[in-house]
Amino acid sequence: MNTAVFANTHPLTLRLDQCRKGATVRVTGLIEQPLFGAQDERVGLRLKELGFLPGAPLKVIGFGLLGSDPLAVQVNGTKFALRRAEAAKICVELIQA
Amino acid sequence: MSTPIRFALIGNPNCGKTSLFNRLTGARAKVANYPGVTVERRSGMVTGLTQPAELLDLPGTYSLFVTSPDEQVARDVILGQLAGERRPDLLIAVIDACNLRLGLRLVMELKSLNRPIILALNQMDEAKRRGISINTAALAKAIGMPIIETVAVNSQGVADLRKVLDDYAQQPAMPEGEQTLTLSDRQESVEALYAEIESIISQHVIQPAHLPRWQDRLDSLVMHPLLGLVVLFSILLVIFQAVFAWASPVVDLIDAGFSGLGELVATFLPDGILKDFIVEGMIAGVGGVLVFLPQIIILFFFILVLEDTGYLTRAAFLLDRPMRGLGLSGRSFIPLLSSFACAVPGIMATRTIADPRERFITIMVAPLMTCSARLPVYALIIAAFIPEQAAWGIFNLQGLTLFALYFAGVASAALIAWLMRRRASGREEYPLLLELPTYRWPMAYHLLLGLRERAWIFIRRVGTIILALSIVLWFLASFPGAPANATQPAIEYSFAGQLGHLMQPLFAPLGFNWQMCIALIPAMGAREVAVSALATVYAVGEESIDVALGSALAASWSLPVAYAYLAWFVYAPQCISTIAVVKRETNSAKATAFFTIYLFALAYFAAWATYQIASALVG
Ligand SMILES: Nc1nc2c(ncn2[C@@H]2O[C@H](COP(=O)(O)OP(=O)(O)OP(=O)(O)O)[C@@H](O)[C@H]2O)c(=O)[nH]1
Ligand SMILES: [Mg+2]
Repeated sequence: MNTAVFANTHPLTLRLDQCRKGATVRVTGLIEQPLFGAQDERVGLRLKELGFLPGAPLKVIGFGLLGSDPLAVQVNGTKFALRRAEAAKICVELIQA
Repeated sequence: MSTPIRFALIGNPNCGKTSLFNRLTGARAKVANYPGVTVERRSGMVTGLTQPAELLDLPGTYSLFVTSPDEQVARDVILGQLAGERRPDLLIAVIDACNLRLGLRLVMELKSLNRPIILALNQMDEAKRRGISINTAALAKAIGMPIIETVAVNSQGVADLRKVLDDYAQQPAMPEGEQTLTLSDRQESVEALYAEIESIISQHVIQPAHLPRWQDRLDSLVMHPLLGLVVLFSILLVIFQAVFAWASPVVDLIDAGFSGLGELVATFLPDGILKDFIVEGMIAGVGGVLVFLPQIIILFFFILVLEDTGYLTRAAFLLDRPMRGLGLSGRSFIPLLSSFACAVPGIMATRTIADPRERFITIMVAPLMTCSARLPVYALIIAAFIPEQAAWGIFNLQGLTLFALYFAGVASAALIAWLMRRRASGREEYPLLLELPTYRWPMAYHLLLGLRERAWIFIRRVGTIILALSIVLWFLASFPGAPANATQPAIEYSFAGQLGHLMQPLFAPLGFNWQMCIALIPAMGAREVAVSALATVYAVGEESIDVALGSALAASWSLPVAYAYLAWFVYAPQCISTIAVVKRETNSAKATAFFTIYLFALAYFAAWATYQIASALVG
């Protein structure tokens, strides 16, 4: 998990909530999200179970009301709506902007 | 064996479990294109087997490590942790063939339970259409369980599945061990499991990388930050217009039919108690409600279409942000939308909400969404009091009034949710994590079945509870008869008249007359009965046998009173079944009492305020 925290400083890596609409990215790791408090571990597990695992390719489909929250992403052919709080747990590297 | 063998369907949300269940048992459980349709365990007997066998349909779940009450039900049933319930003998894991990874992950997890399991690879039609090709035999070998390809929507492969179940039912049951699940030993395994699945899929499945293009195009319109809202509001507007403009010719026709019937019966039957009973008690009471069947059908037609296309989750996506400010979320959208049909399934659907606080708030405000049973009450009073004229050129004044009533419900729900949320700020957040299913053409079969079901439910209600209450009310309104030296109409001396007069002082500040008070009591059983109750009371009271209730109301109520009565029905009375489902879902007498009292208080206050303000304005 440590690598993922460092990942943020790497020029090519960012968090999913920082991506633009239409971007194709690859998951590099999951980091903690204090907003979820005691839930955080569960949320991380559920994200992994849904396929947000290192190496998985994602596509950012769009953003919700007035372009902010939540965001829709496609992983393994399935589309999910995530809030920014969840998206900020997911570190990604850009494949295609 | 005394107890029949027991099978259970388990799989991801929206993979087609209930469709299969319906095929195998002949049931008509609700099927729709969004995750979280089934929230309860449902059981049925499999048809066409040589031995009796029970099948359980369960809510969908992504994992045995559950996060919401509906997933908990699925987990409890298959692990046999439900009090008084034997765990299933055979698990039928269902996978959406277009969504293999997600499905296989759960299947591998189920396999680690060391229980008898077979796999139904469903939606094979859609998979073939998309060019997904699966080597089923090799896949079955790789994951170590039998696989049956199925298409639940046209029963392809269902016979094969039945055959496998039949074979299994004839084997003697064998004892097996069971593993327990804990969070810690699952954490690491997700990656390993996915790696295994990835290698299985790469060997046995050929998958195109992209979804069909039109799906993505549609999404970029429907989920567009601005255009998406335009689409959403246009849809709502069309529904509104349809329910109130398109239905009215048919409504008038049925109305005329019942008036005609009443007159016809009146000319043939000799004067007397039987004639009064049939014309005033039955035809007036039942006809008064039945005329609203077209509107109910149109409303449900649109709801069913929206449910079957997969659009609902997109609307939930768009509305998540604004709803969050109220302590709700996109996840509460579908339960609240269902409440426009009826609050009971709406409240049940809150089981898909993981956050207990959000779920509580959603349950508390769900009845403020105007349910279809209130439609007859609104429509009757509006037609009697609001002139049918255009407003601001394009709108119809009656339609606008109706819209205002629906809006009042939604706005009050928002306000109350917001007040309740403020009491609970500073908590940890819960994720949204909502799957957006692929779009599908609504199936005529589902639509017709769904509409028939709804029409039948409505007619059955009219034929049973509403008819029964109308008859009881007719007796109460007709007996005892007036004394010999009566100075007032006979009905004033009846039981209903006495009871109404007893209640009336309580409702005097709201402007209600005693007839209105009487109608409030049976409306607790079913809201539509308010209409038939008024019809009966006024029909008995009138000298003529005119069953046109609207004109009777227009003659005896003032405008402020009519508005006050509408305001009352925006908030209350909650029908008994709503209160019962709140009790069951919150499992708290305190919450149920709070729910009942706050809505009654709100109704009383709203009706009072409306009456006072409207009286002051009208002069
Ligand atoms: N094309 C196709 N559609 C299917 C098939 N099976 C189910 N569907 C559709 O998939 C959607 C979901 O079906 P359901 O039976 O409600 O799925 P479920 O697994 O019970 O869903 P939940 O109760 O929400 O977990 C509906 O729109 C069905 O019409 C299939 O074999 N082929
Ligand atoms: Mg289901």
